[in-house]
Amino acid sequence: MTTEGLHLFVVDDDEAVRRSLGMLFLSRGHAVQTFASGEAFLATANLFDGGCVILDLRMGAMSGLQVFDELRARASALAVLFLSGNGDIGVAVEAVQKGAFGWLEKPCDDERLLEKVQAALAWSSAQRIRLCARREADALWQKLTPREKEVARLVADGKPNKVIARQLAPIEPRTIESHRAHVFAKLRLSNSNELDRFLREHAL
Amino acid sequence: MNSLTNPGHSLVVKSSSPPRWSGVLVLIGTVLILAAAGQWSAHREIRAQVDALRSSLDVYALGLRSVATRHSDLPYAVAQHPDVIALLGEHKDTPVTAQVNQYLEKLNRHAGSDALYVMNLKGLTVAASNWNIAGSFMGQYYSSRPYFLDALEDRRQLFYGIGLTTAIPGLFIAEPVRHAGKIVGVVAVKVSLREIEKAWTGLPTPVMLADSRSIFFLGSVAEWKHQTRQKLTAKDTDWVLRHKQYGSRDSFPVVNWKTEQITGQASYVVESFVEKRANRYLALNQALPELAWTLTIMTDYAPVEKARWLTWIFGSLAAGVLFLGWLNWRLREQRLIENSHARQMLETRVEERTSELQDAHAFQKAMENSLLVGMRARDGEGRIIYVNAALCDMTGFSAQELVGQLPPYPYWHPEELDKHWRDNSTAMAGNAALTGFESRIRHRDGHDVHTMVYTAPLVDASGKQKGWMSSVVDVSEQKRAEVRLRLHDEQLQRSGRLASLGEMASTLAHELNQPLMAMSNFSSAAKAFAEQGKHALLISSLDDITAQGQRCAEIMRRIRGFVRPRTSGTEACNLNTVVRNVLALLKPELRHQQTRVTFNPNGHLPDVHGDQVLLEQVVLNLVMNSYQAMQDLPPSQKVIEVETFMSGHTVGVRVADAGPGISADIASQLFEPFFTTKPQGLGLGLNICRTIVESHSGQLYFDNRPAGGTIFTLQLEIVS
Repeated sequence: MTTEGLHLFVVDDDEAVRRSLGMLFLSRGHAVQTFASGEAFLATANLFDGGCVILDLRMGAMSGLQVFDELRARASALAVLFLSGNGDIGVAVEAVQKGAFGWLEKPCDDERLLEKVQAALAWSSAQRIRLCARREADALWQKLTPREKEVARLVADGKPNKVIARQLAPIEPRTIESHRAHVFAKLRLSNSNELDRFLREHAL
Repeated sequence: MNSLTNPGHSLVVKSSSPPRWSGVLVLIGTVLILAAAGQWSAHREIRAQVDALRSSLDVYALGLRSVATRHSDLPYAVAQHPDVIALLGEHKDTPVTAQVNQYLEKLNRHAGSDALYVMNLKGLTVAASNWNIAGSFMGQYYSSRPYFLDALEDRRQLFYGIGLTTAIPGLFIAEPVRHAGKIVGVVAVKVSLREIEKAWTGLPTPVMLADSRSIFFLGSVAEWKHQTRQKLTAKDTDWVLRHKQYGSRDSFPVVNWKTEQITGQASYVVESFVEKRANRYLALNQALPELAWTLTIMTDYAPVEKARWLTWIFGSLAAGVLFLGWLNWRLREQRLIENSHARQMLETRVEERTSELQDAHAFQKAMENSLLVGMRARDGEGRIIYVNAALCDMTGFSAQELVGQLPPYPYWHPEELDKHWRDNSTAMAGNAALTGFESRIRHRDGHDVHTMVYTAPLVDASGKQKGWMSSVVDVSEQKRAEVRLRLHDEQLQRSGRLASLGEMASTLAHELNQPLMAMSNFSSAAKAFAEQGKHALLISSLDDITAQGQRCAEIMRRIRGFVRPRTSGTEACNLNTVVRNVLALLKPELRHQQTRVTFNPNGHLPDVHGDQVLLEQVVLNLVMNSYQAMQDLPPSQKVIEVETFMSGHTVGVRVADAGPGISADIASQLFEPFFTTKPQGLGLGLNICRTIVESHSGQLYFDNRPAGGTIFTLQLEIVS
């Protein structure tokens, strides 16, 4: 998987740090876009094409963490790398637990930084694919009727039609049979095992 | 009543008698000794009297003997005469008788005897010297007379008796007349003792002569005559009567003597009435064996009594004198004892007083020695007359070295001699302040001692001032404590600054990390550009590295300046600069706190005199308090307004926030140490601030803003 086409963003309110990171990535042949604030970044950057954003935790108006929350809310495919100072490690760790790709302590070794960025870009590619698949699956799922969704979840649990009918009574087992057929058809699946995996993978 | 009083009385006697025993014994002893002395004296006198008596006796005896024996040979001579013999012969011739009578008469007259006569064997007087006078013996018979009878038997016996014819007493001495070996007659001579009796009569003391039957027949005391010393036996009485020795007298009563033999002496005491007068005599007997008489002579006993009395009197006098002497001695002894007691008491009291004085002295000494305050007494000229141990300790000089010294004293500090002279003359003039003055002195070993000196007049017992007494208190420790306190204050202020810095620590770290991070990145990029041969980018990166290095240095300088322990002291500072420095230091923190600061400096602000670092600390604290007060506000409202101003002779800084303001209940405690509203606050910030401001003679106060929030104002005097 290549990371060449992926975007690299730097968000830091310190001009020197921002510019130095830009120069660093530039020297390594990365396309890089820098922002002085989170607001500017969120307003102008393409958040969904994958790539990596390096976020400074401490910034004047909007903090790094706020920006990260916003990215999550918008289901961005960008990998988030935090830059933290000494006292902010706790915040950085918390952010990683929430799904950020990682954090780097300032000042950091340039090689480690580049490695981490590479890894982040790679992760972002995969993430982008994952997101595409999920979006497709979601589109398929949305084609089901509510009753079908209901039946689909019970089928995924491996329950026979009679049990499902009893559970959803008053309903005939034959009707359940019909719903099951529709679900498999709409979701392009062939058995209940695949259905179970589909639901799990796409968190439906 | 008696039964009640008697026991008491006996008690009194009992209780008083024991001390008298010795006196009574002495009295008895004295009396005994006196009696013995009297007795001894009497004996002595008796001995003397007896000696005198003895010699008198000898004289009387001699007289008697001479009278008695003077004529004893006379009868013998007559008996030899032929006429006498012839007369007694057979022939009786008148012529012979006449011859013999004349012879006898002649002889008698010549010899001085009383009568001389011759008797024949029948006792008939045949011749007598008194033949021719009345009462002649002629023709008388004397055959019954003892001397006649004795002579017939050829015995010579004296006989004293009263003459039968004459009734005149006399001494008869007879001698037989022999013829042809045959006794033919007897010649007798009668000797009168009249002369002796006459001589004895009128003697002052009795002299008595007793015959062999102890009948007094002669003596000076007529009353005693013919009385016996002892009762006569019947035979003797018979003999006397028969021989008519004392004539017709037939009774011989015992003389009325009361005799008392004196032991160890031949003499005895006779008490008798003589002429109806009681007399006491000392008597002595002397036997005259050839006469068969006993001579008794007496002498007055009075001298003996006198001697005894004299002895007694003198003895008593002597005893009295002795007693008086003893009393005197006793008194003297008593006085001596009293004196000695008094002296002893005096000595004891002196000892006690001395001991008390010594105690008091020791007490005073101990007190002086225990005093930490130095004491120094000086006379009017400033000569040291006394120092205590504490002063010696303080100065390092011994009392011997200091006493007698005149100023300048050896402990005067050489750098402050002028001050010492000044203080000295002030004190000597009596103008020393009651509150004392400070004086720096130098210890002998060279270290400085800070003292407070308090001087008061030294007044002697008569109330005259004789000098000055100074107490010298070592305040070095106090001074050191002051210095320590000041240092401590500084330490505290520094701690406060460090605390402020600590609060900003992560911000500062971040601040420093930014350029470091940038440098790291730029250098990495530079390396890549160098490899890629991109010169322009390489140089740009290197320039950036340089710039970031300087940025680091700048940050470090600011921090160091803020935490340096001791400032250079007071200097001319401008409050605008102070505020700018603080804001520069706080910039990253403010950014992190998302707080905006507006600064409105007064462009014509004069300098103040102060410590820039401390003033920065005050402003820093005020700004930090401001943004901390606004923590809960949205970032858009977090604005701190800072301005500098000038008002009269003062300049100041105002720091205003938009926080909740300060409630009345905490307003009063705001500047108290350890008062804080922050969870991690030390509560020292504002307290240190006020201390700093006050040390700059300035003011620090706060007001609530009408629209909400607080304004802190720091106001300082403009430097003149």
